[in-house]
Amino acid sequence: MFGAETFHAAMAEIVVGTMVLATVCAVGCASIRYIPVSEDRRESLMITMDKASIAGASMALFFMPIAILSGNLAADSVVGNALLYNKFVYSGLALGFWAAFVVGRIRMGPGIWEVRNLSLLQSVTAVMAFLMTTMASSIGGKLVRGESLFDVLPIWFPSDSAVVLPIWASAALLVIGLAASLVVFKLGPRAERISLD
Amino acid sequence: MSRALVLASVVALLMVSSSSMANPGGNGDSDRDYTCGGSCHGDPSMSLPSDGTISISQDGDVFAGHAVAVHVNVAGMSLSSNRLLGTFILGSIDGNSDHPEDHGWHVIQDPNGGSSNYVETVVPSTGSVTLTWVLLAPQETGVHNLFAQTHHGSEPNYEGIAYTGVSRGYSIDVMPVPEGLPGLSSDWTAPAYRTSGNDDPLEIGTVNTTSVSVQWMLEGEWSPHDAEVSSQCQDMEVCNTWEAQLPSTMGDTRIQYQITVLNGSFSMDLPWLTMGTGPAPFEGDIWDARVQSFAFAFLVLSFIVSLQVRLSPWDGKDELDQTQEVIDSEGEAPPPPPGMEEEPETASEEYMARLVHSEENPGWLWDPVEEEWVADPNFQGGES
Repeated sequence: MFGAETFHAAMAEIVVGTMVLATVCAVGCASIRYIPVSEDRRESLMITMDKASIAGASMALFFMPIAILSGNLAADSVVGNALLYNKFVYSGLALGFWAAFVVGRIRMGPGIWEVRNLSLLQSVTAVMAFLMTTMASSIGGKLVRGESLFDVLPIWFPSDSAVVLPIWASAALLVIGLAASLVVFKLGPRAERISLD
Repeated sequence: MSRALVLASVVALLMVSSSSMANPGGNGDSDRDYTCGGSCHGDPSMSLPSDGTISISQDGDVFAGHAVAVHVNVAGMSLSSNRLLGTFILGSIDGNSDHPEDHGWHVIQDPNGGSSNYVETVVPSTGSVTLTWVLLAPQETGVHNLFAQTHHGSEPNYEGIAYTGVSRGYSIDVMPVPEGLPGLSSDWTAPAYRTSGNDDPLEIGTVNTTSVSVQWMLEGEWSPHDAEVSSQCQDMEVCNTWEAQLPSTMGDTRIQYQITVLNGSFSMDLPWLTMGTGPAPFEGDIWDARVQSFAFAFLVLSFIVSLQVRLSPWDGKDELDQTQEVIDSEGEAPPPPPGMEEEPETASEEYMARLVHSEENPGWLWDPVEEEWVADPNFQGGES
């Protein structure tokens, strides 16, 4: 058998690997119109990258809750420092961004890349999801090995100190978030699949 | 060209990672046996003898069960780029059960403020470092041996060799305790840290003690201050539970203190001890983190999905566009308020009829009632 830490590390690696694929392809889809390639090649690249990005993001979205749950088990359900607390928060943000990316692509279809503003939003969402997921993973490296790849990069989100909201404030935010999701998905206008014509 | 760029990027990423070394960052302070019970430093195929020198010394006489400061000086060794040195104090060098506690000693405090027999330190540029363990001597009198061992690397170290050095046994003669000699309790360990801002008194466990005094100073200071000491005993001559009021510390401040225990004519100045300042305990718990995490997830999801809907070229947007309804409703405007009604058409005709054309002022009409000139609405560039 193996411990929860090992399982969590494996799940985290799957999430990080798939989301790197998804992010690179999403940024490629958004920027391909600016790349000087023939029309046929562009269309072929677009189809490939679009499928790769949605496949990678869906896989990341599927494995992320497993990674979060196994991380819970690995931490023995104890949050004893700001780093671990921030790992939870960044994981939640990553989950939100990835879910939004997948929802947008599934609802609107591959035509989402044909609308300039939507294409930009979709790629920014993927990049933000990438950053949040990488931060969560890097915090794991900090906790286990005391170092992470972010140490040599000029990007490092706040993680040494945490803004711990009172439980009632977090609960209120959760209710607002759920209500907002209900409004967006059930009560608001429906987003329709964008035609490729 | 692009393949060369990709290849160069991959090579650059590989170069960023450090070359293969056993544990260049160390393993942290802990309780360990000789060579960690079989690490790279103990493997003859992966290690070499240290080029440094190790010497051990002690302060004053050592009485059974009483505190003694043991100093380990290490100098002249090669070091890796991070100048990290791991140092052990050991009761034997067998590879198992080597901890001083296994030989009757008790670690009151290690050089880093904890209570481990293995500590890691960064060696200053002088290349020499002295580490002090405060130990309680074994209860058994006689000669006891202590050993010191070092682990370090070197720079450059292309083959990833682990260096290790070990001292000869340092003999300490543990003498019988004179009757009534005061000292520290064998179950008392000096706290390594105190929470930032915490001014709770320091509890001290002693034996054969009728009085205790404590002096303290911040690390770097030279003149000590007296601390207020109170006992937990009521009307008892010998008391072994004391509380010393040390000031609270903040940030990275380390406070040093020396306990002096007294009993009649005996007065024992114990070794200086050090206490660091730890961060305040983290206040968040797992449910705070979970709820906050999921709240952010739903907020981000709903915000971005709403943006997607807003930016999408959706046909149904026309259903929400109320412009036409507003335009249509303009034809059914409510009547103007009293006094603001437009003049009826007949009134306008009467007004125009009374206006008089003037040949001298083309484009203008004379109003004989109001006695004023008004612009001719029908005037077209000289032809009215």
